[in-house]
Amino acid sequence: MSSDVILVIVVATALAFDFTNGFHDTANVVATSISTGAARPSVAIGFASLLNFVGAFISISVAATVAKDVVNAEVITTTIVFAGLIGAIAWNLITWYFGLPSSSSHALIGGVVGSAVAAVGFDAILAEGLVGKVLVPAVVAPVVAFLVAGLAIGFSYRVVGRQRPGIVTRGYRYGQIVSSGLLALAHGTNDAQKTMGVITLALIAAGKLGSEADPPTWVIVASATAIALGTYSGGWRIIKTTGTRIIKMDAAQGFSAQGAGAAVILASTHFGFPLSTTHVINGGVMGSGAAKRLSAVRWGVAGNILVAWLLTLPMAALIGALTYGFTRIFGTGALGPVLVTLMALSLIAAAFARRAQRGAPVTAAGG
Amino acid sequence: MIATIVQWKELGQTVAASVVAGVGITFVFSVGIWGSGQFVELSRNDRPVAATMAGVVGALAFLCVAAAVIVGIVVMTQK
Repeated sequence: MSSDVILVIVVATALAFDFTNGFHDTANVVATSISTGAARPSVAIGFASLLNFVGAFISISVAATVAKDVVNAEVITTTIVFAGLIGAIAWNLITWYFGLPSSSSHALIGGVVGSAVAAVGFDAILAEGLVGKVLVPAVVAPVVAFLVAGLAIGFSYRVVGRQRPGIVTRGYRYGQIVSSGLLALAHGTNDAQKTMGVITLALIAAGKLGSEADPPTWVIVASATAIALGTYSGGWRIIKTTGTRIIKMDAAQGFSAQGAGAAVILASTHFGFPLSTTHVINGGVMGSGAAKRLSAVRWGVAGNILVAWLLTLPMAALIGALTYGFTRIFGTGALGPVLVTLMALSLIAAAFARRAQRGAPVTAAGG
Repeated sequence: MIATIVQWKELGQTVAASVVAGVGITFVFSVGIWGSGQFVELSRNDRPVAATMAGVVGALAFLCVAAAVIVGIVVMTQK
């Protein structure tokens, strides 16, 4: 009975994480379209939300990596998964509070790794999967997106340089409808699968699935719905950072940044690499800015983002480990997770209230 | 140790596919915009043959982009 209660809490928490993932990462998908005027904010977000939902059904390679290749599923318990999720949600909300586009994916993996180490020790970690499928692609992907976007915009300017600006801007704005759609699809397939992977891991830990099982259909549908709803809710603070504060971009730059991001994410998803869509699209945005003029990139803002990126894995791991330690004070039953859930909900409500008190949220109208 | 853990083949294929798709699609799409721009410009200057050729190049480029996007999605769903 107690393990079923924990499982229900874990599934609800995972879907809440998925919602915050969509909410937090809306910026990655729509910021460039909005900032170049390719689409109205409400249209861009609605479109992204729909394609996020569709994208979640495309593949389960990444879900398999998260469920089976990062931590040893045989020693994982539902409480470990729960503590990891709390670590990820907490870090997502902290970075949202400060308007920083950090990685939800690394927060999730960091949280689960941290709580697993706290519970079982380093034996719980599958180093091969963690390093080979998560850490190395995490470093490589944004660099590739940076280079691809830089090369792409360089070629584009050479091809259309002598055309009338009006037709060029209009053309790339139309192109951005396609490239942002592809990016939303890519985001849906890579990010929703991480939640599917975590729920599958919890179901394996609870003995509801075999250790080699794929995500059940209800998990795929629930994860797709949660990330789509989160995306529709939108995170305007981060949209502003990604869309206008890193560089002031034109439509061609927006198109090449989104095209580079979508290409990198879709290719990585095909091979089951659970990379950070945030890192990739920001790498693309910086690449398209730097190729035009190095000083076009606001390197101070880029530096803040880099610090948040570097801190994400260790901080989410630390919060995950502390959460696991706290739940164990109350034994192995459901009391610990229930208390932590109540505390987390209170803190989230307080954070939203404080944010609202400090100033109006950044909205479409507000820039 | 890291050298043996990393799946170099998959990682290399990911990088190659990203570069080809990311740079290629943007480049071909730009050719499409160039073709459209030239079509409008040459039509205004009363050069119908050149305008038509530019228009065809532009249309082919846009078709290639559409085909590449569809192929990319199909390939991804087949794993």
